[in-house]
Order: sequence, then C-alpha cells, then structure tokens
Amino acid sequence: MRCTMRPLSVIAIAVLACPANAQIRASEPATVTQTIDGTKITMQYSRPRARGRETLFGSPDVVRWNEVWTPGANYATTLEVSKPVKLEGHPVKPGTYSVWMVVRQSGEWTFVLDPNVRIYHMFPPDSSDRQVRFPIHPHDGPFTEVLTWSVPEIRADGGTLVMQWGRTRVDMQVEVEPSLRITMDEADALPYLGEYTFTRNRRAGATVTSKFFVVYEQNTLKGYWEPDDAYYHHFALIRIAPDWFAPGVYDEQGRIYEVYRPDMTVEFKREEGRVMSLEIRMDNDFVWGTAKRVH
Amino acid sequence: MQHPVVRREFVRVAFGAAAALLIPFRTTRAMSAPAPHPTPRPGITAAKVLRGDQVGNDPKLAAIFDGVRTMPEIVDGIGCQCGCAASEGFYSLLTCYEGESAMARGCAICQGQGALVVRLHRDGKSLDEIRRAIDAKFG
Repeated sequence: MRCTMRPLSVIAIAVLACPANAQIRASEPATVTQTIDGTKITMQYSRPRARGRETLFGSPDVVRWNEVWTPGANYATTLEVSKPVKLEGHPVKPGTYSVWMVVRQSGEWTFVLDPNVRIYHMFPPDSSDRQVRFPIHPHDGPFTEVLTWSVPEIRADGGTLVMQWGRTRVDMQVEVEPSLRITMDEADALPYLGEYTFTRNRRAGATVTSKFFVVYEQNTLKGYWEPDDAYYHHFALIRIAPDWFAPGVYDEQGRIYEVYRPDMTVEFKREEGRVMSLEIRMDNDFVWGTAKRVH
Repeated sequence: MQHPVVRREFVRVAFGAAAALLIPFRTTRAMSAPAPHPTPRPGITAAKVLRGDQVGNDPKLAAIFDGVRTMPEIVDGIGCQCGCAASEGFYSLLTCYEGESAMARGCAICQGQGALVVRLHRDGKSLDEIRRAIDAKFG
C-alpha cells in the first residue's frame, strides 16, 4: 500500500504547491533566512529592478533624497529575528519589524526598524520611541540590477547583513547571543589540565595511541594531540555540562568557526574527586577514543 | 588521525536518505528549539519497541533498542531533540523507538539520545540528571 500511496502523495503535493494566482511582478517577492548559532534572521521583501534606470537614489521617480524608503518594494520589507541580536551595536528584541531607511544625498543614512508590519511602502511610519534607529553608511559597490539582501559574511558570533541596489551598498554588522561560553575561568580549568595518554580504537581491533594535552590558553580550556592533529590543532574545550565539553575548532585567524555539538563530547571522569581520564563520544554515544591522565 | 565528522556526516546523510524512503513522512521543526521533556506516562511499557534482533544486523543499534526496552518509563520522560517532536502522535523519545518503522532505526540523533539515556540510567543517574545531559549534548 505504501508503494502506491507514495507516488500519489508526491503528485498531490506538487499540485498543491502550484500557486493559485501566479502573477508576474515588477518586484518579485523574496525571502532570505540565515541562522547563526541558533538565531534565525529573516528578511522578507519585494525586489525592485533597476530596469535601465541610471539613477536610483536621488531620482524623483525612484528614491528621492530625504525620503523614508523601505529597501524593497510594495509592502515594507520586514526583518524577523528569533532571538535578541545587535545591529550595528544596537539591541533588537526578538520579533518582526518593518524596515526603513532615511536616504540622504550626503553623509550617513538612518536605519529604522518599526514594530508595525504590513505597511505599504508609500506610507512610512512616523518616528516613535518604539523604533530602533541608528546611522548607517552607504557606499559604492558593484552594480546590482535587482535589490538584494544577503548575508555574505558569517562568523560564530554574527555576520554582515548587506543591502545592494544599483551601485549603492549598505553593510550592517549583526551580533547574535552566543549559545555557549567559549572562555573559562582559570580556577575552573585547573582540574583538567595535564598530559593524557590517548587511545583510539579503530576497526579490526587496531588501536592508535598518542599524547593528549589539556592546557589553558587565552582564557580558554584547550586540547591538542601530539603529534599534532592536522584538523583539530589546538581546539577549545567548551563546557556544556559539569565535566562535559564540546570541541570548538579555530580558523587561521584564531576564531572559533565550528563547535562539534552534539557530534563529539569530551567527558572527563573523576576518581575520588580528581580528574583522571576522559572519553570522547560521538553523537550516537559510541566511544571514539579514551585517555588516561599521565601527569 | 582520521577526522571522524566528515565520515559521520556522510553516514548520516545516507541514513537520512534511506529513512526518507522507508519511514512514513513526519513533520519536522527546527532543531534549534529544544523539545520540553514530557512526563512519563503511568504504566508505559516497551511493548511496541522492537527487540534488537529485529532491527537489522548492526549490533550497536540492536543494543540501543534492547536497552530502551528495559527502561521505557525513563525513555518516556525524555523529549526528542531531532526535530520530530512536533510530528503527529509523538509523545517522547520512546515514540521514536516504537513500531516497525521506528524513526530511531535510521536517525542518528534518536539513536544517540537513546544510547545516552541507557548508559546514564545504568550508571545510576536520575531522570532529571539524564534530561540535563540530553539538553547539554543535544539541546
């Protein structure tokens, strides 16, 4: 029965997915969603095209100077954030906001987030203390035919939100709330520090033994193998529970770029209160390797 | 030293693809929001959980299913963090282990949570301690 129902289900889904009122629009709708460390950031907007218009900003027919303009078309562009963020250092609470820019011929523009959404672009909101407002700095960029919101740069703690249209580009730094604390007080790190003999059980009964060190560097508990592991190098041990740590690997600039949670968990074991060994377990809880304290 | 995660990702993707074909569709939600832990249902049993020898030739997977069968009252108090908690008929991690098409047969997260619950319960940890461990690792 399942074999016959599944193709029918696929066809049904395909039919239902067809829009009931397909329409060609000058400014087609789009959605950009980016998740960073569990914070979901969504821009929903309509995308006007340049359509051969040489001047977009400052044109009486497109975006006039000193206009309160939604960076999109039709209904106001919206920004939705699932958790608190900072935009250009300004706190933004979780929620959905209509997005506006006060565009000026020279100097900085003003970025405005208004709690009222579903506003047509011709009716920008008045200033209010419920808005988030801060200066932004437009600059020249490569020509972009269709107004585009994007997140071209992502870090562990945020990214860059960019609006481009024509030869104008606006970059805004987004900071998200970290889900984990990377650093650790030295006193808390002390029980784990030392040299361990690491053993990894491989298939067919073979074992690989190496030295494993737990050290305290740059206010962070770190581990590394000797000889050096070409992938992990010195990796952060990020506490997720008492005596449990998730490995965080660094890029060449020394910034965390990935935390292996739940992929790997380093579980330290105590004997009479003293940390004596550890296990590295995978997300399926199987033991990937073990280590015993030497010093 | 071989980097394990790349291989694991491949296995997970392969399992996921197979599961999509073999397991009835279940609505999922984002993993970022941990599921709350349910209250174990009084009198719950593992009657719907397959024995290890019924889930294939993987002895590790078989051990997890057999372990879950010994402690349904604990597994029933754990919310699943794989994204299946919003699906119809879901109650707890135990749901993931129930039936011929149990999601845990192909979902590495369900398997990992089940294995962790079994290990910690055998180590004498309380349900609250197990919940905290699940949240720390998978939440």
